[in-house]
Amino acid sequence: MTTPAARTAAPTAPSTARGGPDLLLAAAVIAVAAALVHAVYFTPTEAVQGPAQKIFYLHVSSAIVALYLGFGLLALTSAVYLWLREERVDRMAESAAEVGLVFMSVVLLTGPIWAKPIWGTWWTWDARLTLTLFTWLIVLGYLTLRNAIEDRAQRARYSAVLGILAGLLVPFIHLSTTMFRTLHPQPILLKPSAPSMPHEMVMSWMYAQGAFVLLFVALLRARYRYGEERDRLRALRGEEV
Amino acid sequence: MSFLGTAWLVARKDLLIEFRTRSAFFAAIVFALLAVVIFHFAWDPTTVTALDLAPGVLWVIFTFSGLLGLHRSFGVEEADRAIDGLLAAPIGREALFAGKAVANLVFVGAVQLVTIPAVALFYDLPLLGGAMLPGLAAVAALATIGLVAVGTLFSAMTVNTRLAELLLPMLALPFFVPIVIPAALSTARLLAGRPLGEIRGYLEMLAAFDLVFVTACTLAFPYTLEE
Amino acid sequence: MPPDNVAFMRAAYTVALVVYALYAVTLWRRRARVRKELQRLSD
Repeated sequence: MTTPAARTAAPTAPSTARGGPDLLLAAAVIAVAAALVHAVYFTPTEAVQGPAQKIFYLHVSSAIVALYLGFGLLALTSAVYLWLREERVDRMAESAAEVGLVFMSVVLLTGPIWAKPIWGTWWTWDARLTLTLFTWLIVLGYLTLRNAIEDRAQRARYSAVLGILAGLLVPFIHLSTTMFRTLHPQPILLKPSAPSMPHEMVMSWMYAQGAFVLLFVALLRARYRYGEERDRLRALRGEEV
Repeated sequence: MSFLGTAWLVARKDLLIEFRTRSAFFAAIVFALLAVVIFHFAWDPTTVTALDLAPGVLWVIFTFSGLLGLHRSFGVEEADRAIDGLLAAPIGREALFAGKAVANLVFVGAVQLVTIPAVALFYDLPLLGGAMLPGLAAVAALATIGLVAVGTLFSAMTVNTRLAELLLPMLALPFFVPIVIPAALSTARLLAGRPLGEIRGYLEMLAAFDLVFVTACTLAFPYTLEE
Repeated sequence: MPPDNVAFMRAAYTVALVVYALYAVTLWRRRARVRKELQRLSD
């Protein structure tokens, strides 16, 4: 049973002016800066947790972007690629993986810095941090796999399979780590602020969340265009794209 | 040729090769036994009891020795491009996958059959009581099906890549964690003499994982073989 | 009186901003290199 080969026409020119300033990224950077300044200087400090609580705005916003946007897009484009065999979809998957990995790394670095003063321990196997650790490992594996395969169509296919399986894995990771957690003592010091936050803190979180979504989209777009240009260069050189 | 017939033929071929050369099987057994010994010497019995340590030791060993066997699963087809012969034959891709997976199942099962008594011996575990053996068998069977389904697929995907020996564990281990957690927790309960009813939740989770991933990996396998 | 843990907050914000900035910079440099090559080849 034969299947159609991946459509690999040489990539067309990128959609914005080459070399022009990336206004989207500039806007995103400004938004992030504004949101974080607002969080640090214009949001009340939590009485029990202190200034370290403000890491929340940065950490949780990045986590939501990393897991839902980054990883979700990766799983989705993987499935779509196997269905459509469209090279652009594969390129989007690759971009989502790389940018998503960056956001996940920030989550994994800021998490312990936040946990230490708030929970008294550098690491805790709470649901979000554990899931981020696993998706970080999986995406790292995904990028390593891509790097290890020379043939373009094969690389796209194998990556797509891994992306789909990774998406299927997420609920099982959640379940099994919850299973594990309920048996091990949890830090009982201070509960990090989440549902019962005062209004100003919720607003600060919303601003930060919006800003980081914008940052993700801007970086994703830039990374996608880089992918287009890189593939065009390879095609011109006669290399395997 | 029927699905089961083909799968059985493929499995038999792999198992015969392994039986005649015995290289990977011996390597896995030796690895497992050495690991048991090292774990024993790295262990302070005054702070951790044998019953606490043993489940973890067992499942770490099964996972890593399993990986040894899984790597070989498609590795044997690399010599003389034997894989081309398999692909040219008029056999369904899914049956090929099932056959490879069954062979791996037998392989890992055999390693477990040797390792469990060894661990019981070295750690002085009360294995021969009540629900323990059937319970352990159930846990091991369900968990190993999951390990083998994912591992066989990733073995096919990584076999002709650079750094294949690194890539297989790197990709597979995150998938093994949702298996190892309920498996180790069940084993701990069983070794502590708890009744089978207490591990039902864990067994259900393993069964759910197996259902999802055996299906997904079987469906995904043909995509790894297209030319 | 809230605890004095502002150092953690500063550390986290610095780390995050450094990582994002580093990524953006390396992405730009990769892109600049590729564009230069493309330019060279199309001349």
